[in-house]
Amino acid sequence: MKEGFRQAMAWLHTWAGLVFGWLLFAIFFTGTLAYFKDEISHWMQPEIAAHSLDSEASLALAQDYLQQHAAGASRWLIDLPDARDPGLTVRWQQAPGKPGERGRFESRTLDAQTGVEVQGRESMGGEFFYRFHFQLQMPYPWGRWLATLAAMVMFVALISGIITHKKIFKDFFTFRPRKGQRSWLDGHNAVGVLVLPFHLMITYSSLVIFMSMVMPASIVASYGSDVRKFYDEVFPASKTPERADVAAPLTAMAPLLAKASEQWSGGHTARLSVSNPGDASATVVLSRAGDRVVHDFGRAVTFNGFTGQLLSSTPDQPMAMAVGGAFYGLHMGHFAGPLLRWLYFICGLAGTAMISTGLVIWLGKRQLKHVKSAALPFELRLVEVLNIASMAGLVSAVAVFFLANRLLPVSLAGRADWEVNVFFIAWGLSVVHAVLRPGRKAWIEQLTLGAALFIAVPLINALTTPWNLGATLMQRDWALAGFDLTCLATGLFLGWVARKMQRPGDSVSVRKASPSPRSITVEQGAN
Amino acid sequence: MLLVLLLSYAGFTALCLSMPRHHAELLGAKPSTRRRQGLALAGWLLLALSLWAAVAVNGWSFGLVDWFAVLMLSALALVLLLPYRPRLAMALAGLSLLASPVAAWAQC
Repeated sequence: MKEGFRQAMAWLHTWAGLVFGWLLFAIFFTGTLAYFKDEISHWMQPEIAAHSLDSEASLALAQDYLQQHAAGASRWLIDLPDARDPGLTVRWQQAPGKPGERGRFESRTLDAQTGVEVQGRESMGGEFFYRFHFQLQMPYPWGRWLATLAAMVMFVALISGIITHKKIFKDFFTFRPRKGQRSWLDGHNAVGVLVLPFHLMITYSSLVIFMSMVMPASIVASYGSDVRKFYDEVFPASKTPERADVAAPLTAMAPLLAKASEQWSGGHTARLSVSNPGDASATVVLSRAGDRVVHDFGRAVTFNGFTGQLLSSTPDQPMAMAVGGAFYGLHMGHFAGPLLRWLYFICGLAGTAMISTGLVIWLGKRQLKHVKSAALPFELRLVEVLNIASMAGLVSAVAVFFLANRLLPVSLAGRADWEVNVFFIAWGLSVVHAVLRPGRKAWIEQLTLGAALFIAVPLINALTTPWNLGATLMQRDWALAGFDLTCLATGLFLGWVARKMQRPGDSVSVRKASPSPRSITVEQGAN
Repeated sequence: MLLVLLLSYAGFTALCLSMPRHHAELLGAKPSTRRRQGLALAGWLLLALSLWAAVAVNGWSFGLVDWFAVLMLSALALVLLLPYRPRLAMALAGLSLLASPVAAWAQC
């Protein structure tokens, strides 16, 4: 009975893992890159310079700018620079949007120290990876549904994997390299078990984050069809007060930062939202930065825009929301400093490695039966092609995305879209290549190409922009320098893996379970 | 965070040595029962100490996150080092133990 159950779980683990493995690899890999979203964006828009932070001064500059350029607007939004995102972003909306709709915003980025408008090259930056990892470049809401489905399957695969793994404690410290299939399984188990708390947290929290979408019953039951009302109650900051049509100058906003910080026992402000600036009814809502583990949805302090008086402060969130907030906060890791962020990144790569080793094991086991025959049966060949394109191909496409950012002309129309297009074209070509070439050769060639592309990133960067590695190291811009160094390290790692595969051995994968995973792409120097 | 890393790495090494197979591989002989129990106890104590070190510095919410992150990293590092550089892995555990009082003193 017990064995039967375990076998059923093993079957579930094998097939759920295979069918969703390629998609999960892409989600985990891009999601891992998204931990360095702001740093990637900074590298992809290096024109927006990083300065030492002075929120008060930056806010005063933003207020000046908006008063000159958007005095009559119905709403201003100001995003203050932080340690990771150097830009001071101001946005404004001329006429209020209809309820339930997001109005059109004008957006400008200012230099945080001088207040001068800066024009970063058009690029989605790290936002692309972040969006892709749960929207999958599909129209709303299909991508989110698919990503959520993948998360559920991941959860099933994790649980069934734990049940299947017989000697979870006995083999806790076991990794035997250079033993072919055995090593792959050891590596799969090691990155699975040792980083299990992260895997469970990241998978379960993704389901919690999309709970309102997956299980809207609790909201629909209380609010009926007026779901909008639910969000208004949860996020008071998005409401706009009625205009009084009496001119009244807006108070200086910089001192409000300290007052808000008092309310939050030292927390920082990330965003200010000003409704009806220049009108007697003006309000200023300060939203808190995600500097705590438990994410506070819509935590905000509201001030009167004319007198600067404190109007209201959102109360502490109820327990149920705090639990949801904890999962959200843990998943996003906004609170993490540079060191913890790197640990998050490594954990994400471990998850990626777990998925990739699983896929390789699935194929390796079945390939053994066909060692003697010249060609693989169609279904195994299909898995092989998909393995190559979804892993080696995706990693190369990421490097192509970075290179496109440096090589596409700055004046190109729709430039940000073209970066994304080039990424998908490169990924598509990797499928074609994997179909045309025999499996092992395709692996080696794509990994070698990926290595060359990643090593080219810092070189092309040095040739096309003034922000070369030497300069960024001198300026102590760790995000830019770290990005280049990480690309270099990734290139070397991919080259090493490609060389490992080139060595003659038995025809079934002798590639060592690469412990530190496929690839790395990012930055931020050590603390 | 350094103290947490030192303690948890040493703790995992002790736990690893408390298993007869690994003890034989690394030190060349099967351990006595007493020795095994001593190592296991020491391992769990060190892990508990590392939890205390993380929470004492950063409070429960940040401390727990830090602790889990460092715990996973140190276990991963140990397991990947063992087959390739077993002597280095052991030496690092010894060094961690020696350095941890210094790190603790610096932290206070």
